[in-house]
Amino acid sequence: MLTRGSAMNQRSALTIARRRALLLCATCAATLAALIGTALSTGDMHIPFFTAVRALFGAGDSGTVLVVQQFRAPRVFAAVFAGAALAVAGSMTQRLLRNPLASPDVIGVTGGASCGAVLILATGGIPAALTPVAAVAGGLLVAVLLGASAWRSQVSVTRLVLVGVALQQGLAAVVNLMIVRFPQELASQALQWSSGSLYGRTWTEVWVAGGAIVVGGAVAALTQRRVAVLDLGEESAGGLGLDPRRARLGLLVLAVLLASLAAALSGPIGFVALVVPHLVRRLAGPPTPATLALTALTGAVLLLGADYVALNLLPIRGLPAGSVTATLGAPWLLVLMARSRTKPVQRTLT
Amino acid sequence: MVTTDRAATAVPAPPAARRVPPLLVAAVGGGALLICCALSLALGARSIPLSTVISALSGSGRGPDADVVTGLRVPRTLIGLTVGGALGVAGAVAQGVTRNALASPTTLGVNAGAGFAVVAAIFVLHLARPLEFMWFALAGAAAAALLVYGLAQRPGDADPVRLALSGTVLTAVLASWTTALMLASQRTLDEARFWLAGSIGGRDVAVLERVLPFVVAGLVLAFAVAPSLNALALGDEAAHALGVPVPRIRLLGGASVVLLAAGSVAVAGPIPFIGLAAPHLVRPLLGADHRRLIPACLVTGATLLLAADVLGRLIARPSELETGIVTAFLGAPLLAVLARRSAR
Repeated sequence: MLTRGSAMNQRSALTIARRRALLLCATCAATLAALIGTALSTGDMHIPFFTAVRALFGAGDSGTVLVVQQFRAPRVFAAVFAGAALAVAGSMTQRLLRNPLASPDVIGVTGGASCGAVLILATGGIPAALTPVAAVAGGLLVAVLLGASAWRSQVSVTRLVLVGVALQQGLAAVVNLMIVRFPQELASQALQWSSGSLYGRTWTEVWVAGGAIVVGGAVAALTQRRVAVLDLGEESAGGLGLDPRRARLGLLVLAVLLASLAAALSGPIGFVALVVPHLVRRLAGPPTPATLALTALTGAVLLLGADYVALNLLPIRGLPAGSVTATLGAPWLLVLMARSRTKPVQRTLT
Repeated sequence: MVTTDRAATAVPAPPAARRVPPLLVAAVGGGALLICCALSLALGARSIPLSTVISALSGSGRGPDADVVTGLRVPRTLIGLTVGGALGVAGAVAQGVTRNALASPTTLGVNAGAGFAVVAAIFVLHLARPLEFMWFALAGAAAAALLVYGLAQRPGDADPVRLALSGTVLTAVLASWTTALMLASQRTLDEARFWLAGSIGGRDVAVLERVLPFVVAGLVLAFAVAPSLNALALGDEAAHALGVPVPRIRLLGGASVVLLAAGSVAVAGPIPFIGLAAPHLVRPLLGADHRRLIPACLVTGATLLLAADVLGRLIARPSELETGIVTAFLGAPLLAVLARRSAR
């Protein structure tokens, strides 16, 4: 898109893109705030919107404060953090691997992370604060396996995706084993985790994983410039004094960390990491400094919205948010695949 | 966009060098199958000496050991032979029809389709017996396979990587719905979780009897299309030029895959990777001639399944590991290796 027109036009186009991204950011933030309020106010006990928001900050009668602060808020903020982290991780991997299919959920990183989390839960007696650590370990393990088997002089994403599919089959077997072997209560807990659900999150988990996600997001924002340099291609990046392979590896590790932390909060939520970057590219055009924030906000809105739909609007109550995102995201992926035949490779990644 | 490197994903071209004489391979394969059958009859939570097994089989043996053999292990072994053979052939035909080394019942979404149909049936209709699951498993498996094939279809040819990806996407969605239903109702989880793990132990022989016509029909179709699959391996146009009715062969081969895969899911639950592995084990030995490949896969599939089942019984003695879990653990690395090779 940038290629047409002169330098002048490019500059003005960039300004427009920047303004547009900021505007979209503001819209998204407003939507997110409204969604948070709505999610806090709906449930078995209906609480008016503003009462719920005030109760979040501790004002109002103690019953309302208890419901909002202890029962609803952890779930809502888990969704916000997990959605944002997934979206950012997805946009990073898609950009770094130069392929719109390469998102952490498709290649199995989130599956590995939640497998780690389930294993920790299953052993019992380990504080909930350690779940994110286990999830990160699982996600990194999958990433290393992927790297070992798919990485050659350059990354063929098809290979990466297919190896990821194989890994996911193995992980599914692990979860299946736990579901069959465990006593019933643990079995449904393991199932709950492997389904991508925000059920029963506590503040401890939200603080630990959410805090780590914020740090990771900040690092991602600071390294945006490197990503932009890497976009120019390995040789140009080398010319600009950046070791492209090391930089790329480091950024990929950061993306894996973010995705794993998200999985520690929500289990393997599918398709958010895949879809949001596309959506953002469509809405905001070429990447600007505001794009990362927009991606995070859109991810948060999407996951919170999916959880709201799963919780309140479906005929069967209590479905995991993951099944809503999968149902919405799969057609998207299929359309993407169908279109990939007819369009040249370069147009998606500006 | 999606860089689906569409290169050497087709079934390996005609054999470069056939080093092993086919008769020897047949003898070794038959021997391995016999050994696996014997182990499957003799080993388990209670090990039974082979002499007792033989006397029980001939009808002269008495006592608890003989009852275990005739009452539990013989049906189990028969189910293993049928399901394994059916899956092996289904894999070979699927790979031939789609000209795709990654095609198999699992990657086509058959297992996920059957799993979702059964869980939905348990959830809605309150089914409780495997005999009742059967029709839903058949229908779900067939529907999923048709859908995946339809999604991967482009004018001319079904693209290998797209086939695997569509299968994955459909599997992801169906799996998430299956999980959602099981989470929504504890009863469904209790009924379905053992069926979903995929095992040939403790299955009802009555189901096998009902499904057998489907499996036999699938096998007949598979053997009937085998010569045409060889022509199909040369490409649609070449096959057409050789006088092979390509669309009809695709249709018949696809029907064979659906009958075989759906039939075996209905009996044993989803057992992954047998269909993928069998043709890949056979091809280096016998070459890509489907007239040999398909019977060899019948034997290899049965051998693999029984071996996995015996392994599952030995690992977790005195309990046992479900067959489907064993094959998944063994098969995932295989799929990774194949994916690496085929998506170069």
